[in-house]
This record gives sequence, structure tokens and C-alpha cells, in this order.
Amino acid sequence: MNSRRDPLDVALEALPREVAPTRDLWAGIEAEIAGPSPVVRRPSSALWMRLAAGVVLVIASSLTTYVITRQIVQENVLQAQRATEMHQPVVPAMPASFAQQALGAEYLQARAALDAEFQRQVATLPPVTRAKLERNLADLRRAASEISATLAEHPSHPLLQELLLSTYQSELALLGSVTDMNVPVLTSSPSETRL
Amino acid sequence: MISDATLVEAARRGDMRAFERLYRLHSGRVMGLCLRMARRRDVAEDCVQQTFIRAWRNLAAFEGRSAFGTWLHRIAVNEVLTYARNHGTRTEANDADIDVDAAVDVARDGSGDVDAGEVMDVERALAGLPEGARNVMVLQAIYGYSHEEVADMLGIAVGTCKAQLHRGRHLLRERMGLQELES
Repeated sequence: MNSRRDPLDVALEALPREVAPTRDLWAGIEAEIAGPSPVVRRPSSALWMRLAAGVVLVIASSLTTYVITRQIVQENVLQAQRATEMHQPVVPAMPASFAQQALGAEYLQARAALDAEFQRQVATLPPVTRAKLERNLADLRRAASEISATLAEHPSHPLLQELLLSTYQSELALLGSVTDMNVPVLTSSPSETRL
Repeated sequence: MISDATLVEAARRGDMRAFERLYRLHSGRVMGLCLRMARRRDVAEDCVQQTFIRAWRNLAAFEGRSAFGTWLHRIAVNEVLTYARNHGTRTEANDADIDVDAAVDVARDGSGDVDAGEVMDVERALAGLPEGARNVMVLQAIYGYSHEEVADMLGIAVGTCKAQLHRGRHLLRERMGLQELES
């Protein structure tokens, strides 16, 4: 029976599975692992470490966000104050509600021209496209109106001012996209409105 | 005789004597595996030591799904591979640095039931195999692990494992002057 077996398998089976180390390795192992049992306590300490790391991360993240936001707000307030001081002779004060009339005559004229052209062009568009454009325009104007109302209650809020400006700019962009007319560029200072 | 499971359970509770008992029971097989893979006695002994240190630290992770010896072998294989990776002994070019006496040591430690000269020849031939083929041969042909287990331990595909086994057997036959048995 054995004579039929692969001689290589026979030779490999004859090899010893165990080999004794030349020195006693236990002493080194014991020295390394001596101390409090790592086995039972580790999971809980690891859990606490993970929790602590999570808390530290959240606090650090919140702190960073707070500091950055505070800096931006302070810079915006300073910019708004500087702009107000610079243009005081032209515009009495930063508009309380940032109303459209405070954006400057040039802006209002350009906007009126754009609006008229928009109405004319949009009438030639397919009903579905027209409805979509008009809905978008209405949404933008409603948003501008709401922001303006809120700004009236918080006249010096720089973020609201930026938001309103950005909404007006979006409105102009929408009007311009249909009319192919030049769109005035709005800046935070109404007197700097450029055509 | 106390079972591995009982000793492991005691060791989990911090009983170092139980863990020492596990070391005494398993260190020979772990050493055999490391020596054949590393081909240097000093490296093999370091790997054995690290294997048991790592095992102690990770006893909580041992779920008992495999035998404790198998779990130790997995750690040992990882230790040898990590050592080889860090010290550049994976390349065939470094074969000249192999401690050729390691093969002789293995044979010398074997039981006296078989021809020591024959065992020595096999060990020498095995030690001379390219690393990939040798590792697969050691784990599969000597320690009896399946293709899947070997592939998992070595981090290779099962197909690669089969190919390396075939290559290893072919080279061993060639070097030992053995004829292939017709099936």
C-alpha cells in the first residue's frame, strides 16, 4: 500500500512538525506582557479612548467653525461700516431694508429695461419654458422681498445684506439670460453698481 | 490534560501561568513553521516571541472558531511576512544570505523514527525553494492547511496558491531526484 504512495508525500510526512527553540523564549515574552491583564480591560479602555477622541474632534471642529464664522462676520461688519462711511454723502446710510430704490438709479433703470425686454422675449417662448422662467423669477423676487423685510428688522446684519445682494444679482442674471442684454454688476455699495 | 479552550479562558482573565502553558504546548509547532518560512533561526525565534506577545495582547479577539494553534500560526505567518517585508528578505536575490544550517537544525530536531539523512535532504530542498512556493509548501504539505486557509494566511489568491504548490512540488521532485507518480 505504502509503495504506491507518492514518494514526495512520504518524504514530506516524515518531516518533524515541531522544532524546539535554542533558547527559552518565555522569559522575553513574560517580560513583555507582564503588567495588568490587557485582555479583559482593553476593549473598554479602547472604547473610552474612541469616545474621548470623538468628543475632542467634535469640540475642535465646533471651535474652528465658530472662530472662522466669527472672523467672517466681523470682517463683513467692518466692510459694511467702511462702505457706509465712504459713501455717506451719496447714500445717507446703508439702506435699512436694502430696498431697491437704495440700489441706485442706474441699477433701477437697467433692471426696468431688462424686465421689459424679458417680458417681450419670454412671450415668444414655448408655454412650458415661459412658465418655468416666470416661476423662477417669481421665486427670486419673493425671496428678495422676504430677505428685505427681515433686513428691515436687522439693518446692520452683513450676511442678510450679502444674501439680498446675491438674490438681486440672480434676478438680473435670469433676466439677462433671456434678453441677451448686459447685466449690471451689483456690489455691496449701491453707488458702485456698474452697467 | 487541560484543553486549549480552558487555558485560553484562564489567560483571558489574566492568568499568565495558563498562557505560559499554552506557550509550552504550541511553541514547537510555531517555531517549526517560522524556521521553515524564515530560514534563519534567529529570525524564527524572534518571530515566535512576537507571535506569543501579539497573541496575548489579542486574546480577546480570539473567538474560538478555529483551533488555538491555527490562530497562532496565522499570527506567526504574519510576523514572518512582516519581517521579510521590512528587511527585504522576500527577494530571491537574498537567498545567498539564508542560514543553510537552519534546515539541518530542523532535521536534527526531528524524531529518530525516520532516516535523519533523508529528512535533512528534504529540508535542504525545501529551504532552497523560491519563497512563494516554499511558503505554500510549508503551510500545505507540512502543516496540512487547505488551499483557502493558505491563501488567506499569505494574502494571495487561491489560484496562486495552487500554482505555487504545483511549482513547489515539481521543484522538490527535481531537486530530490524523485519521479512523478503517475495518476
